[in-house]
Amino acid sequence: MNFLKKVPTQILPLAEAQLSLSNKSALHTSAVCCRVQSGRYRITVKRDRPLTYEMANPPHFIGHRKSWNSWNTSTLKDALRPSQTAIEDVFIRKFVTGTWHALVCSEIIIKRQHNTIRIAAIIRQAISPRKMYFLIGYTEELLSYWMQCPVTLEFQTVADKKDVVFKYI
Amino acid sequence: MYLTRQLRLLPSSSLVRHITSGNGTHYTTAAPPAAEHIEIPKRIERSPTDLLQALASTVGRDSTAPHYKYHDDPFLIPTSNVTKRTYTLSKEAGRKAANWIKEEHRELFMHQEAQPPIEKFAPSMVYTEESEVDTSSLQQLIAQGELTDAVLVYNLLEKKGIEVNDALKQSLLELVCFYNNQEPLPEEYIEERWFLQNSRRRERHGKTWKDGDLAEKLYAAIEPKTPQSYAALIRGMAKYLQCERAYALLQEANERQIQLDTNTYNAIIQIVSLLKDTADQRWQLCTVLLNQMAEQQLHPNLGTLNALLECISTFGNFKLARSSALKVLPEFKQLGVTPSLGTYYYLLIIFCRERAPVSHVIVDILNDIGGKQFKVEHPKDTYFFATAMDVCRNHLNDKALAKKVDELLHTGNNYDLIGDSFKESIYYRNYLALLCQTESIEDFMQTYDVLVPNIYIPEPGIMEEILRAIEINGAVEHVPRIWSDMVIFDHTHRESLLLYVLRIMVNNRPNAELPAQQQLPEQCAKVALDMYNKIEESAKRVRKVSFTGQMLGDILTLLVRSGSSFDKASEVFAYIDKQQHRIPGTPAESALSEYVEATVLNKAPSQALMALQYAVENNMETIALAKRIHEGFTLSEVHLAKLKSLVGESFLDK
Repeated sequence: MNFLKKVPTQILPLAEAQLSLSNKSALHTSAVCCRVQSGRYRITVKRDRPLTYEMANPPHFIGHRKSWNSWNTSTLKDALRPSQTAIEDVFIRKFVTGTWHALVCSEIIIKRQHNTIRIAAIIRQAISPRKMYFLIGYTEELLSYWMQCPVTLEFQTVADKKDVVFKYI
Repeated sequence: MYLTRQLRLLPSSSLVRHITSGNGTHYTTAAPPAAEHIEIPKRIERSPTDLLQALASTVGRDSTAPHYKYHDDPFLIPTSNVTKRTYTLSKEAGRKAANWIKEEHRELFMHQEAQPPIEKFAPSMVYTEESEVDTSSLQQLIAQGELTDAVLVYNLLEKKGIEVNDALKQSLLELVCFYNNQEPLPEEYIEERWFLQNSRRRERHGKTWKDGDLAEKLYAAIEPKTPQSYAALIRGMAKYLQCERAYALLQEANERQIQLDTNTYNAIIQIVSLLKDTADQRWQLCTVLLNQMAEQQLHPNLGTLNALLECISTFGNFKLARSSALKVLPEFKQLGVTPSLGTYYYLLIIFCRERAPVSHVIVDILNDIGGKQFKVEHPKDTYFFATAMDVCRNHLNDKALAKKVDELLHTGNNYDLIGDSFKESIYYRNYLALLCQTESIEDFMQTYDVLVPNIYIPEPGIMEEILRAIEINGAVEHVPRIWSDMVIFDHTHRESLLLYVLRIMVNNRPNAELPAQQQLPEQCAKVALDMYNKIEESAKRVRKVSFTGQMLGDILTLLVRSGSSFDKASEVFAYIDKQQHRIPGTPAESALSEYVEATVLNKAPSQALMALQYAVENNMETIALAKRIHEGFTLSEVHLAKLKSLVGESFLDK
């Protein structure tokens, strides 16, 4: 209730009187916590927390400076499987970050077009290309067994984790 | 992009025309056009993939990008033949691992997402000794081609005493005979097939047919014997080279007057060469078999033609082989059998042999089939292109023909018939080797740019051919490019190639007056230095290349020539001097004299004397060097004393 502190004291009783008169709460006055907290990163004391470009832009820049992480049409009017799609996306993200352990250094973007799912991410070049190809084949195949549709990985690689750091806070 | 624009344009423009022609009278004062009859075309039935195929036909193979099976990222693009192979196979291994997980944890993959359900995404049914089975499940398994499961279910049914009807037994017999009761490589692993090189070795490798196995038991169980059961067993035996018994079975069928079919006869004709030893006997047996077919009124087909030609191709006597092939061809033409690429492959191996006079049959073949599109019709169809290119190079050495073959390969979907990676690389190996022998170096490099590295990566042997072409043409300006390719393709551990590159650069001194060659001395020095570093590094590896005196001398010369890398040259020479007991051979004398010349230019008398000392110690020509040093420098007392101690005072007096 911090914002109430700035309000001059003599107005308050008046406002309360008005509210009690109408006997209805016309105004919703509690602060929305989630809008302040989520998707934002706290500044560290040493200013050494690395942020990617995506992390550096808070959620209200989605559609302006950065883009969505899941691309699908399940939330349009009369669209199919909205909840299943969301859960599947969570599953894909967990599966990919776990399979490519300590290698994924960006958000995982999931795009659905017709019956295919395309998954994009940035991967660290910490293992040999041969092993990467094994993981690509494995991930594509297993996810397509799970989702029962063709899955394509569209990964890009960076030599170093620092290559994706946009700024430190 | 282009296609979509066209698609969008097409209907709208025709629509506009119809509207204006139909309603034109309302808006114009001109004479009304004659009533145009609009004819609505009949609907064309399209298959679900027609649109995709139309789209796919607009894109061809892009030679500037790696094959689309590789991941589009610089780190993951293969650069040598070995990596091309390992990357694809690793990817497939990953897919296999996923499949294993699916089968192992089948309870997790029982959900049903897709509508309609897709069988391939669900774990396959498991049949064990305890499974409840009936004939319908056996029927389904046979239809799916699941060999091991079908056999297991059949055994179960037998154990339980459930009667399997003869039709089902027959189809199981066919399945077992086709695969020789061995689980084949699953269809979806195309890359493994593509890189499987032993397909050639496995053929003609003696009998692999399993005697007394399930196939024969099934055959025995079918009573009375039908023509189909005979056919299945004969074909299976012929395919897995149980020749004697296959032929005996055919004779038995004939004695019992059982009507067989053409393909069974084809299978027997194919193994005639293994049944009889001499060409005459083989030809005789072929004639007998063909007569039997005629008696039974069987119409020969493409398989018969190719089987006959295969038999003819095994004749040692080339005259007999040629004449019999020429007898066979017109007969089949009369019968209306269209030859496939496999037929032409057999013709090539019959007519173009090493120990036979040169034949130009390929010219006629190409005139006949140029510009045509082919589909796979016979297993040997995929052998044509590699063999044709081989004939172009090794038999006729004809560039124009090779280009014609290449054109045919790139007509329509003919590239599908290239076979596998092994045949593809043979094809391009012969093509590039032929071009670099016959074309001018500029034209050749254009082809090289198109094919290398995405479509084909030259093997070391072909690299040597290319270097030879460069040497003959004195085209030293291409060497830096070729060298960087060699580094990428991992050819730098071949001593012969390294020496070749150095020799070309040393023997073709760049002409500084030509603007195109002004950069060359610098570039050559870079190549030489790169090579020097590579060889030094390789000392730690298993596959190491060791320096020779010749090699180091060439490197020294190239470094000296560039002018700006004298320091490096001194370093290399110091290395030669220090390691002289380890390095076999000595640098060429010209290399030493060029180095001394450079020391004069760079005013480094102590290096010059070091070179002289080296020459003295290794019994090389020293007088000229000493003279050059004496003339080139104003030597200090110390240096003069050293010079005298090395070659004696005598030469100064002359």
